[in-house]
Amino acid sequence: MSERQHTIFLDGEEVPFRDGETVYEVSERHRREVPTLCYDPRLEAFGACRLCVVEVEGLRNPVASCTTKATAGMRVNTRTDVLEAHRKTLLELVASESRAAAEAPAGAVPGTVDPLRGYASQELATLASRYEVSGERFAGAKSGHSKGADDDNPFILRDYDLCISCYRCVRVCAEREGDYAISVANRGFHTQITTEFDSKLSDSSCTFCGQCVQTCPTGALADKKALRKVDVPGELQKTRTICPYCGVGCSVDIVTKGEEIVAVQPAMDGPANEGALCIKGQFAWDHVQHGDRLKTPFVRGEDGELRPASWDEALDRAAAGFRKAYAEHGAHAIYAIASGRAPHESAYTVQKFIRAGFGTNYIDNCSRA
Amino acid sequence: MSRTVATDAEILARWKEEPAPLLPLLHAFHDRDGFLSESSIRGVAETLRIPLADLYGTITFYHFFRTFPPGKAAPRVCDGPVCKTRGADALLAALEKDGATPMPCAGRCDEPVPVLIGDTQFVGAADGSLVERETPRPAPRPDGGEECVFAHVRDPARRGIDGYLATVGYAGLRRAFCEWTPERTLEEIDASGLAGRGGAGFPTGRKWRAVAEAAGGPKTIVCNADEGEPGCFKDRVLMDHDPHATLEGMAIAARATGATRGFIYLRYEYPHTQAILENAIAEAEAHGYLGADVLGSGQEFRVYVRRGAGAYICGEETSLLNSLEGKHPFPRNRPPFPVTHGFEDTPTAVNNVETLCSVGPIVARGADWYRGLGYRGEGHGDHAGTKLVSLSGDVQRPGNYEVPIGLPLGTLIHDWAGGPREGRTVQAVTMAGLSGGFLAGDALDVTLDEPSIRAHGSFLGAAGIMVFDDSRNMVEVAAQAMSFFAHESCGKCFPCRIGTQRLTERLTGAAGPADLDAWTAEVADIGRTMKATSACGLGMAAPLVAESLVRRFASQVAAHVGEAGERGGERA
Repeated sequence: MSERQHTIFLDGEEVPFRDGETVYEVSERHRREVPTLCYDPRLEAFGACRLCVVEVEGLRNPVASCTTKATAGMRVNTRTDVLEAHRKTLLELVASESRAAAEAPAGAVPGTVDPLRGYASQELATLASRYEVSGERFAGAKSGHSKGADDDNPFILRDYDLCISCYRCVRVCAEREGDYAISVANRGFHTQITTEFDSKLSDSSCTFCGQCVQTCPTGALADKKALRKVDVPGELQKTRTICPYCGVGCSVDIVTKGEEIVAVQPAMDGPANEGALCIKGQFAWDHVQHGDRLKTPFVRGEDGELRPASWDEALDRAAAGFRKAYAEHGAHAIYAIASGRAPHESAYTVQKFIRAGFGTNYIDNCSRA
Repeated sequence: MSRTVATDAEILARWKEEPAPLLPLLHAFHDRDGFLSESSIRGVAETLRIPLADLYGTITFYHFFRTFPPGKAAPRVCDGPVCKTRGADALLAALEKDGATPMPCAGRCDEPVPVLIGDTQFVGAADGSLVERETPRPAPRPDGGEECVFAHVRDPARRGIDGYLATVGYAGLRRAFCEWTPERTLEEIDASGLAGRGGAGFPTGRKWRAVAEAAGGPKTIVCNADEGEPGCFKDRVLMDHDPHATLEGMAIAARATGATRGFIYLRYEYPHTQAILENAIAEAEAHGYLGADVLGSGQEFRVYVRRGAGAYICGEETSLLNSLEGKHPFPRNRPPFPVTHGFEDTPTAVNNVETLCSVGPIVARGADWYRGLGYRGEGHGDHAGTKLVSLSGDVQRPGNYEVPIGLPLGTLIHDWAGGPREGRTVQAVTMAGLSGGFLAGDALDVTLDEPSIRAHGSFLGAAGIMVFDDSRNMVEVAAQAMSFFAHESCGKCFPCRIGTQRLTERLTGAAGPADLDAWTAEVADIGRTMKATSACGLGMAAPLVAESLVRRFASQVAAHVGEAGERGGERA
């Protein structure tokens, strides 16, 4: 095999490809910005939205580049007037079935939703803007039935009026999370994302990991916790960090407006998680800003009631308790469990304190899973 | 008379270890209870290790499966395009008291209106009366010419194996297994020019050769008997009156490819056909034509019947395979193709009933004989073989006809089928059932072969032809056709899922621009994008109905858009 056999012609430019790569992947690497709505690089290519169609010389019809493997010598056009016209028509059809398009004020981009709904929620609106999609063409029935109060879980809003049936949620649930909690009911225009027996998510095998929310390209699945913060003023800002809960080390973006945390989103490029989180990492961040959160130590008085105290007083009290237990019952009467929310350095300090300080190995951490 | 009702455990145990078990398991519960209860769905999911949500979603895909009573006991009335003109709506109203609901074309357009109650298909009349009758046999070929697949179908004895053997049945199979090498069979099929008679027209010999040469196994032959195209009822007559011909074709395919198992994927609407096929399989096994060691050749070939549950898309071969495997019946992305990655990812040949029925005679009598059956009329050259045409609608003698490929359409309609009703003229015909859209005017001069019909922007396909005379409103016919495609669109790809809906709304007048130019532009844009970008043949073909309507019946369209606009008032 000569080197030359491992190239394709992309819009006339000869470019190399790797074995097994799809035309879409090659196009992405060469910054062709081929549009898509059903594609998530972490998932098996599905070929639903057809926006990524490209022309391949020798084939009568355009092909979906996401499901077409590159082959040596292939001549591909990613952006012709004909393709762009098909893409615009497809986007106008998609916009026509969505409540967001119908409700968009005159002149607004169809499909616009609040970015707090989820990581990928701007994809439809971004494409609608790029292709100058009219929200008025192809008017007709809307698809999907939102589940408002019918699914009263605290985490995931199932706003299916905005659903465009790309099935990224179903596929991420099966392929990445392994939950198989959701699937596709009915067919054609009446397609609806469902659970077993159309039950609530809380009665299904859903683990509320939130991956469906974060891959949804329209905001039809939305982060309910974040949506409480829609009216907080300020620009959204993202700060990359590591999830503090367990030892996996999932990369997350803490989303803030001003000084206030308004959401957590997974980092799609996080090496440990590739966009995955669990229910805690995704949704359990209220405690950070909660009014009941302890900000000063407390000690218990003679009367049994807790009262605020200084750190010196509190630490003296704790030290006294350790000394008493050690003196009366020995080293093995002491057992430490480090909090899963504590950073690694703190966890290290705890085990050092117990092992070196008292001479026992009775240590543990709450996030053993 | 008391009958023992099978328990859940017995049903699950009966099918658990069978190949392709999901559909028969669901049917077993559906038959027993009349619907699929939550507990039976849970039992199936657990037994077959299918996630519950997945199984629940898949069940909702099939329109005959019900998850609540009365379910199966309620009558289903065909409201296909021909039945609509034969009192389907009145019949539906007459049966409404029994919970009747409509079903898409059920494949009896030569004798409307079919009604399905439980596992019995009746022929209904507008007054609500129902009679049970066998599938009509085709009339003798009007010009007396020689036939291939219909040569013996009118012989009442042909359904049983003795009658089949008495009319040179299984001669082809015997030759393929006892005289010829698989290569020799492949060469003969290649030479015959036989191509897929289900509509796609892929050369049968090439398909089999690809399976024969593919690595891996066990290899599989699938007979596509999901005859769902409206206006097509040809496979039904073959299976009902000549079931061994299908089995013989499958076995020859197995010999040529090395396949050891076969499935007949039968559409739900032909319940009686399942019993006929299963009886024929038992007879063939008893005579050694199927089973563990076919005719002492050392090759195993077993055939299983699997019944669909109401989904046109399952006639698309990759949807069919997903359905057989118990998966959600979306079409698969290709490549890879079924010839290398078919049923359970093994090399698989999927062939239509008519194609398979042609195989036995071709092997028994030779490729030259088969090629010679093509039309040899004046000015017509090289047409090989025959094609069954299901002719229905406004003609005097509707029915199935085996035509020499290349026969002029006019000869079929006027000379063979008696032409339109007295005092009427042919306004339009559909092609490929509905998928080919309408031919009218000059285009009615086509000959029945793909090149001729494709030159008019249509295709012969599975060769259902519905005739509409000058009393019919073609916009209404087109609206019914498009609502069928919308009903049957699987929902996987955007252009088909949304496009069929929007075209239906524009043809019924439910939505769409009131201005004719805007209306036409929308319909054209949707159609163009559907044809170019849809993921499978359904979405690519559906717009032909709208496109051919606009092209050939511009004044009816203009009147429709005007009227709809007046009705819609302010509608944009």
